[in-house]
Amino acid sequence: MAKKVIIVDDSRAVIATAELALEGMINSKTIEFKSYLNPMELLEALQNGSENFDLLISDVNMPQLNGLDLARAIKADERYKNKPIIILTTESSNEMKMSGKEIGVTGWMVKPFSDDKLVKSLQMVLGV
Amino acid sequence: MEKLRLLIADDDEDNRLVLRATCRNLECFEIKDAVDGLEAVEIAESWHPHIILMDIMMPRMDGFEASKIIKERYPQTVIIAVTGVLDSRVEDKMSLVGVDIYINKPIDRELIRFKLQSIASSFRLKLGGFKDRNKKIILNPFNSDIPSYKTIFDIVDAEAMMEFGMWLFDRYNGKVTAVSSKFDKVIELFYKLMSKGGKMTIIVEESYEEFYITMKFEEAIVLEQKILGMLSEFGTEVIVQENILCARLSKPIEREIAAQDLLQQMQIKRTSAENIKIQHTNESVKEVKVIESKERVKEVKVIEPKESIKEVRVIESKERELLHQSFIRKTSAADYVDEIGDILDEILELSSIDEEWREGLNLIEKDPSEKNFIDFVDSVLNIYVRVINNLFEFTALAYALTSLGVFIKDSAKILSKDSSKTKTMIMLFEHLGEDLTSWREHIFVLQDTADIHYLDSSFFSSCMQIEGIISNKEVSADDEDCMEFF
Repeated sequence: MAKKVIIVDDSRAVIATAELALEGMINSKTIEFKSYLNPMELLEALQNGSENFDLLISDVNMPQLNGLDLARAIKADERYKNKPIIILTTESSNEMKMSGKEIGVTGWMVKPFSDDKLVKSLQMVLGV
Repeated sequence: MEKLRLLIADDDEDNRLVLRATCRNLECFEIKDAVDGLEAVEIAESWHPHIILMDIMMPRMDGFEASKIIKERYPQTVIIAVTGVLDSRVEDKMSLVGVDIYINKPIDRELIRFKLQSIASSFRLKLGGFKDRNKKIILNPFNSDIPSYKTIFDIVDAEAMMEFGMWLFDRYNGKVTAVSSKFDKVIELFYKLMSKGGKMTIIVEESYEEFYITMKFEEAIVLEQKILGMLSEFGTEVIVQENILCARLSKPIEREIAAQDLLQQMQIKRTSAENIKIQHTNESVKEVKVIESKERVKEVKVIEPKESIKEVRVIESKERELLHQSFIRKTSAADYVDEIGDILDEILELSSIDEEWREGLNLIEKDPSEKNFIDFVDSVLNIYVRVINNLFEFTALAYALTSLGVFIKDSAKILSKDSSKTKTMIMLFEHLGEDLTSWREHIFVLQDTADIHYLDSSFFSSCMQIEGIISNKEVSADDEDCMEFF
């Protein structure tokens, strides 16, 4: 069954480039791709159970909610505690890594990302 | 580190003290005082301040006159007028003489600190500016083929030398706290050579582990005994050839990586190396190797497809700085809008541009002629750039749009003949346009974001990726740490 990958980013351009990069995996039904522009909407949908995911890719700086706070909120929920989250950021500071690690995210990727790297990290995390 | 020079011009001693105290804990500044406009002009001539806090009502020469003279001679100087009187007449006069920003009295210390910090960060970015990225220059004699970022500086005067010093210091020292004594010595050596005068070009190349700094003089170098002595300390790390001097510096170790992390990283790299082999069965994999050193692991891959090697759109160091810049202070949209004054109107007037953006893209869709691509850049994209350039704090956004415009113009011919690429470009540009619209809304209309920088570098990285997609180049963050899994 296709694994559900959700990307949350306030930038439509980032979502579009990610979708282009993952085109192959989407077409082969390896993954199902869904995106959110507003992290609050995603959080709400996850909390009321109308949404679910196998992997979440999240931006950090978003106007409504910081991606690390989003990850923290999701990880606090029993249902999603063990689901992988990858942080997508332009900044690769140690502080960022440390707080990501503390929250329990699976890893992080620096933007701009190459198609190759995105595909590979997905393959690795999802085991597909 | 060399500091930015800040001049405080005010005839009132109390005011000078307050301003000094306000700026004292901003460590990036070296501060001088002037008691009136005339002295401000004199100090500007001898000391070349980067920023001047200028009172308007002063004896002997007022702030208007002083600003006018200083701006004529040194247009780069940022003048912040600090004034108690502010009506439209005064405002007009200030903008006429070249005052960049004004701040009302009584002095709001937080506000001044905020303004100064913004200006300081924009100066820092400018100082790293390279002059001509396409220039053909002989590269370092150690190794002419470094898979690296190059930054080129034309050093014409003492000011430029200092700027280079600051840039190098930031670049080298940005990630670690301790400066190695070797680096100190190299800097000292450079200053000695620089201060001998004459124009030169400096090329800084960076590989993963080293800096190569090549100084190219106009004439053959004659070295004094003292400098020769210094050079001998570096042994084989310095090469001198006629008019070229090149030094090789190891980069400082960024952090200790625990053995387990290292193993895990190796695992990732190995997996990806294997994937490359599998993926490119139609191509001949010339060489895939994993280089292991004490501190770092990196993968060097040279894949030769049947016809050509996939090019890489290398991220230049200035771009990296912009991408990775972090704003220590969060600025809420509401606070920011309070600061920008009249520029807000310009931004709000941009609302018609969304329509033009879509129309421009429609036109390209109907008729993908070279002219339509160029028109889109000139009459839509560059309008945005002009307005954003007037704003503080959005350097990355302005730079991203500018370079994207240049790229589209350069690729107009190719795009006009490639309908599938044009289609992708239109799709991505539609998204960019919407991103910009929502950026304007969140910051300037709704004013509902806790930090105005949320889109800045993200947008910049999207623009780079779009360039990569359109030009078929892999965007390479070239970061040894571009991804990590815990």
